[in-house]
Amino acid sequence: MFERVTLERRAETGALRSALVYVIALAVATTLSLGVMIAAGVPTGALFEELVVQVFLSEAGLARTVTMATPMILAALAAALCLRLKFWNIGIEGQLIMGAILATAVALYDIGGAARLPVMLLASALGGALWVAAPAILKLRFGVSEVIVTLLLSNVAFLFLQHLLFGPFGDTSHNFPTSPVFDETEKLARFGYGDTNTGLIIALVAVAAIALVTHRMRFGFAARFAGDNARASEALGFNTGRIMLISILAGGAMAGLAGGVIVAGTEHRLTQVVGLNMTFNGIIIAALARNAPLMIPIVSFFIAGLSVASASLKVFYGVSEGIVLIIQGIILLTLVTFQFASTYRVTIARQRPA
Amino acid sequence: MIEFLTAWLGSLPGFMAPLLLASLGLLFCERAGVLNLGVEGVMAVSAMTGAIFALGGYGPGVAILLGALAGVAVSIPFMIAVIVFRAPQIPAGLALVAIGLGASEAMGRDAAHKPFLGLQPILWPEWLTELPIVGRLLFEQDWMVILSLTLAVLATWGMFYTRHGLRLRAIGEDPATADAAGVDVQLYQFGALMIGAALIGLGGAYLSVAGSQIWTEGMVAGRGWISLALVVFAQWMPVRAIFGAVLFGGAEALIPRLQAQGLEVPVYFLSMTPYLLTIGALLLISLSTRTSQAEPGFLGRSYTRQDR
Repeated sequence: MFERVTLERRAETGALRSALVYVIALAVATTLSLGVMIAAGVPTGALFEELVVQVFLSEAGLARTVTMATPMILAALAAALCLRLKFWNIGIEGQLIMGAILATAVALYDIGGAARLPVMLLASALGGALWVAAPAILKLRFGVSEVIVTLLLSNVAFLFLQHLLFGPFGDTSHNFPTSPVFDETEKLARFGYGDTNTGLIIALVAVAAIALVTHRMRFGFAARFAGDNARASEALGFNTGRIMLISILAGGAMAGLAGGVIVAGTEHRLTQVVGLNMTFNGIIIAALARNAPLMIPIVSFFIAGLSVASASLKVFYGVSEGIVLIIQGIILLTLVTFQFASTYRVTIARQRPA
Repeated sequence: MIEFLTAWLGSLPGFMAPLLLASLGLLFCERAGVLNLGVEGVMAVSAMTGAIFALGGYGPGVAILLGALAGVAVSIPFMIAVIVFRAPQIPAGLALVAIGLGASEAMGRDAAHKPFLGLQPILWPEWLTELPIVGRLLFEQDWMVILSLTLAVLATWGMFYTRHGLRLRAIGEDPATADAAGVDVQLYQFGALMIGAALIGLGGAYLSVAGSQIWTEGMVAGRGWISLALVVFAQWMPVRAIFGAVLFGGAEALIPRLQAQGLEVPVYFLSMTPYLLTIGALLLISLSTRTSQAEPGFLGRSYTRQDR
């Protein structure tokens, strides 16, 4: 197969070429996604209204999109921090759930007195970091694949969440599996614009802080270096293991914080769907943003728009929520497939080699 | 105690078969050097498709076969991406998971939560089935269980006793050398991934058509990921995958048995055990053997002739 095709790795890819490839990949992914939506039963004429007007241009829709984007920014930071070091954290959902659980525990057991809200957020970050610590240590110390462990621990976290909601954390006043609603002092302040809240500021501060560390500080340089070439960085005397551990734990903390922001800012209680699809959301956003922290809020905004649109597509046209997952898969697959055009130089011989 | 053992051993093969089929499929992919993380999604598509055809009045055999074919179909974009376009295998596999889970959710909506009559055990004389301990284990199983064990033996033969198998393993180990020896790397990878997807699909279709005899969202429940761990546990050997699948399937089969016994452990903690067991097994294997030697040398990387 393909004997006439020769692939050659490009030593360097020009900015123009990589930008062009990126744009074409996005265009292809968008076209395919629209095709999926039409196939799923969305009338062609309604696409612009549902995907653009309702989620970005209407006041209520925009508020929903921004609210949805807030935890996504943090989840994407979690993905980016780990992916940069080639640590495939696909358990963001689990870390987020543990963060949400710890924040809820602080609220329900009235821990922290006057500093309740900061304690909740700290607890959520701690929960996420703890939940990623096990796979990080298993990977760095024993060489156990983080892909499987992070994912399985996500399932464990979800089961633990259900145990709590049907048990000790459950609200006894109704039969739905949620925790009781938090007190006023345990809620993040709202801007008075839909459900948008100060969680957004927390997320943006996190973005700025991580961008600063990544691009302006020695640790960030070392981390980028270790991600690109672990051996070379080790040889130059960087403590690669420590750099990886710190970055991964920071990533877990961001995922946990996302959980804290969801329960304290949006939901005001713990629910079963707190981490729903957040692993894929985070990874897709990080991939689209190419792990650049400052790009993450922008990409999150659009991916959040997609999620918000899917909720209304479900209501109005009976389109399954599975569509969002399909579209996310298509975006990711298209993106990595098109990398081919910026990674390799292709030459096709006129004749089959003898 | 005898009753408990008989029931547990009797239900074990039903839990073993899907894990064994999926890990055999993965073995083919990984022996060809391709890390296919998409198992969970492929199994979901096959389970959903199998259920739809079973509900549509097709026989269980046909339903399982069509389910497996659907698994192959949904894997094709992944194959093209990683083999032709050398896409990084981990994100491409994750994309396959998303597409598979999403498609099974979207397309299986009308078939969800509708029980049907699926694959039934092979009928044996009653006095055989009623034997204590081994009766149900040996004489109350469907033909897919036997097929899965047969396929494990066949896979061993194919991989280790045929020329094609040697080439396949060579590609996973050192594609440059295989290429230099005149083996068509991409062709073999396509072949391995097709066989792999079909086997993974068989495992997925088994879950709905033979196992639960109903399709519900999320019913694959991490079995795809457990199979990924199982391949490591089996050290990339098909016959060892049988032992792994028996071990993991046995643990899974224990859960409903213990619940039936009225064990005082919260249900959600009980459901965590397969996942925790898998992580424990991965740790154990990394401590006790040289996994790095059994693992195909080029697993997860993309080969281009220039790297030769």
